[in-house]
Amino acid sequence: MSHARVCAFSAAIALAAWTMPGSAIAQERQVKITGFGALSGVVRSFGVNSKAALEAAADQINKSGGVTLGDGAKGKIVIDYHDDRCNAEEGISVLRRVASSESLVAVAPTCSNVAEPMFGIMQKKFGDAGDTGLQFPVFTDVAIKIGLAKISEWAFRNVPNETEMYGTLFRWIKETKPDLKTLYGGVEEDFAHSRASWYAVMKEVAGKEGLQVLGESKWLLNDTNFSNQAREAKKASPDIMAIAAHPFTTCGMLKEMARQGVRPKLLIGLTSSSSMETLQGCAGEAETIIIPTSFAPINADAQAAAAAVSKYNGSLDLHSGAAWENVFILKRVIEAEKVMAKPDTLQADREKIRAGLAKLAETDGLLGKTKRTPDREAVKPYLFVHAKSGKWEVLHTPSL
Amino acid sequence: MLDLLQSLADGLLFGAIYSLIGLGFTLVFGVMHKINMAYAAASLAGAYAGLTLIKLAGLPAWAVIPAACAAGALFGVIIYGVCFKLIPLSHPLATLMSTVGMLLLIDEIVVHATDGMPVNYPTFVHGMVGYGDFMLRGDLMFVFFVALVVMAGLIYLLFNTRLGLATRAVSQHPVAARLCGISLDHVNAVTFTLSGGLGGIAGALIGSAVGMLSPLLVAPLTVKGLIVTVIGGLGSIPGAIVAGLLVGAAENLFQFFRGVTERDIYVMLLLFVFLVFRPGGMFGTDPARS
Amino acid sequence: MDFYFGLLQIIGVHTLLGLSAYVVLLTGQVSLAQAGFMAIGAYVAAMLTVLAKWWIFPALLAGGAVAGVVACAVGFPALRVRGLMLVVATLAFGEAVRLFFFNFDYQIAMGGIKVGPLGGEGFRQIRYFPENGYTTFHVMVFIWLVVAAVMTALWWMDRSRAGAVLRAVGEDEMAAQSAGVNLTAVKVTAMTVGGCIAGLAGGLYAHYTTHIEQGNFNVLVATFAIAYPILGGLSNVFGTLAAVVFIQAFLVEGLRFLGDWRNLLFGLLIVVSMNVRPGGLIDARNWTQLRALIGSIRKGETRARLEVASGGIMSAVQRLIQRWRGAFGA
Repeated sequence: MSHARVCAFSAAIALAAWTMPGSAIAQERQVKITGFGALSGVVRSFGVNSKAALEAAADQINKSGGVTLGDGAKGKIVIDYHDDRCNAEEGISVLRRVASSESLVAVAPTCSNVAEPMFGIMQKKFGDAGDTGLQFPVFTDVAIKIGLAKISEWAFRNVPNETEMYGTLFRWIKETKPDLKTLYGGVEEDFAHSRASWYAVMKEVAGKEGLQVLGESKWLLNDTNFSNQAREAKKASPDIMAIAAHPFTTCGMLKEMARQGVRPKLLIGLTSSSSMETLQGCAGEAETIIIPTSFAPINADAQAAAAAVSKYNGSLDLHSGAAWENVFILKRVIEAEKVMAKPDTLQADREKIRAGLAKLAETDGLLGKTKRTPDREAVKPYLFVHAKSGKWEVLHTPSL
Repeated sequence: MLDLLQSLADGLLFGAIYSLIGLGFTLVFGVMHKINMAYAAASLAGAYAGLTLIKLAGLPAWAVIPAACAAGALFGVIIYGVCFKLIPLSHPLATLMSTVGMLLLIDEIVVHATDGMPVNYPTFVHGMVGYGDFMLRGDLMFVFFVALVVMAGLIYLLFNTRLGLATRAVSQHPVAARLCGISLDHVNAVTFTLSGGLGGIAGALIGSAVGMLSPLLVAPLTVKGLIVTVIGGLGSIPGAIVAGLLVGAAENLFQFFRGVTERDIYVMLLLFVFLVFRPGGMFGTDPARS
Repeated sequence: MDFYFGLLQIIGVHTLLGLSAYVVLLTGQVSLAQAGFMAIGAYVAAMLTVLAKWWIFPALLAGGAVAGVVACAVGFPALRVRGLMLVVATLAFGEAVRLFFFNFDYQIAMGGIKVGPLGGEGFRQIRYFPENGYTTFHVMVFIWLVVAAVMTALWWMDRSRAGAVLRAVGEDEMAAQSAGVNLTAVKVTAMTVGGCIAGLAGGLYAHYTTHIEQGNFNVLVATFAIAYPILGGLSNVFGTLAAVVFIQAFLVEGLRFLGDWRNLLFGLLIVVSMNVRPGGLIDARNWTQLRALIGSIRKGETRARLEVASGGIMSAVQRLIQRWRGAFGA
């Protein structure tokens, strides 16, 4: 008899252990902002850093009084972070979970291959009654593949505008080093971001700036043998070599180029590769590589923010920097749109946040003012860093 | 023409890495007639563990190979104990699935331990051997040499020692072997230790050839390793070596002719060609005849 | 509620994926190609609804049909290979299909922008459901109608002679052949049916995620396809369903509070469950026990049966301890 009772009891506990999405009874007014991204898998550093940045930013705001709500009361920002494992189905499931909770807005995702399907299930045009898509605002911090925010009017992004950055980079190269005329690329074909960055950004922009594009070598994101590709680059013998790949294969290609004696006069890298990973993997071969980035701890704000984030077990870089900025931007929007943060004003609050984000023409960033575009993207201030003696150093600050 | 030869040579040398992985798969299959899907993952884990060991103990760079070998052997025994020993023989699918579970577990442990970021691996042999424009990588030649030494060692072990005799007996007829007093458990455990150690060495060599280790390598090495094992013939040691070189060379040639996005399609087609015309693999027995 | 409907959608599609491998596993063939057939179904169905503006239902059926035809073509050479070589061969085929779509471009201009699959970039804006008034609830019902139809068909097949023939081929080919079973026909039919079901799963997948690319149909998906029926038990279709619910509802969503330990538990739980229940979550003995239980509830003998069942759990644990002692003692 006791067996059956034990069984029933444990079954009940197991069912109760299913975390119901949301529904906390708030004693004080809470402004719930949920983040999600890859917390496991090879790209987990993005999620870990974003989570730390969100928590650090929320902590700073809460310590200085919190957010002023529509009726004058003060609200605390509460951050939740979920793991989507860089998987499209799971990302969609997490978004639905977040939308069913008391969360007002999501800062997500970290993977571009999650962002695209996720934006696809959202309502395309605000107010379109015939569209059954999800109506929940998402303010992206990391997913950087070009042109995603235009998929839905509920999607906003605070990611660097690569067309702008690489355009300025190539222009600056033409001005400071006019003898460099040819460009050759190396591209990771099966990673959404890298692929788009070479074909849709670097190649286009370089052509416009008058550089001759000689072609590109291709590889896959887990390739280890670059002998063919390095040889193709050697044959092309370009002045400038642009590698649109993530640290693992960037280092592999650079090592092979060193082995075969391929020495272009200038090396350019992908925005995401301006991280410790690249220097850990091939500091020697990556020496002098130039990468445009939207974050470097070059002013007091940025340094203070970096210190705050490291207390939460993360580091502030160009990706998590956006998460930090997003919390402050959302604070501004919440206060401007007089969000109430009450359980019965949930959907109205979400619509207010969407409207507020859509209205923004300019936001504050860690490096300066960020412009917002009509298709809900950002044009962030940026600078060029280059690898020098195993560290990233600022090379040139064009727009500051 | 030179480019073609160079591609071929580069591919052949890189194929030595596939040979080493294929050897491990084929060894376990030869004795237990089961596949250990977690093999490539355990090999890389052994390489990571070896690196951690030499860093902690402050040993010189070359010590990473024996360290990885020891770590790999340990992981091999653990996999045997957890995935094969306890599961009754009447459920072959269960062992397959449990090795898959082990693969996921090892992969995730490595990702957790390294935060997903690639880890720098010491290289032992530098420099290129060349003749004019034609160059061969020194470190890949070292890997090739080690693969040959290992194959020779394994063949000696199998055909000139009592343990090898016992292993061959178990592989041919487990029941008869037990009747002769050979402990099945003992032989299986030794096979896993041996293949695990081999895997550790393979992982360390892969790390030094690529210069970095990353969890990203687990999936392609598993798939290529399995393809090499099947093309070479399940259970055949020289088959694994030859097939590894063949796949490495073919891969590079396909890439040379058709580009990287189509390369693997042709590698798969190569496998199908073998399966259609020689289902037993190059050196294996034709299953239709057995 | 939206979240639960979404979760049920995921469970539904994954059940179809599991069932596609289940059918093939019954004949003793382990097929890692189901993700490839899923990809074919996904791309075909999506192209039909987006580019050719078909209604969803015929598009899904067409996706399933094309996947089935390809599976049939794969089934014949698969006869020559058996055991672990078939595993590798089907794995290679699945990868080849994925790589095919990696290189597949077919875009047409519609309303000023180009739509259609674009190689590595994938196929975006497959918005049939949101544009035609299907809410999350409607999509869930739609998916489960398809799942119910497939499960009913497989259940009925299992209870008929066809099921017995399939399982006979899976148990012992020589004996089945001696009994007059046409091995070729049975194995190829199983492969074809499996391909069709995977194609249906793919079509539904494409429409409820609105964006597909080659990376969505990789080795991991193929592995999960066979994991569901193996973990759930091959005695009947509900085993696969139980395994999908266990993994997707319990492991993935229910254990979210564990943070990044959740992923570690995945592999660990698979290893543990294969050790504790090698026949699957619902193996043949459980099934008879369950039927007896249901029968007895009707007859009012529930309490006695529950005691028997829980006694069964205790004796299973005792047997496991004995097995461990035996394995490590000898």
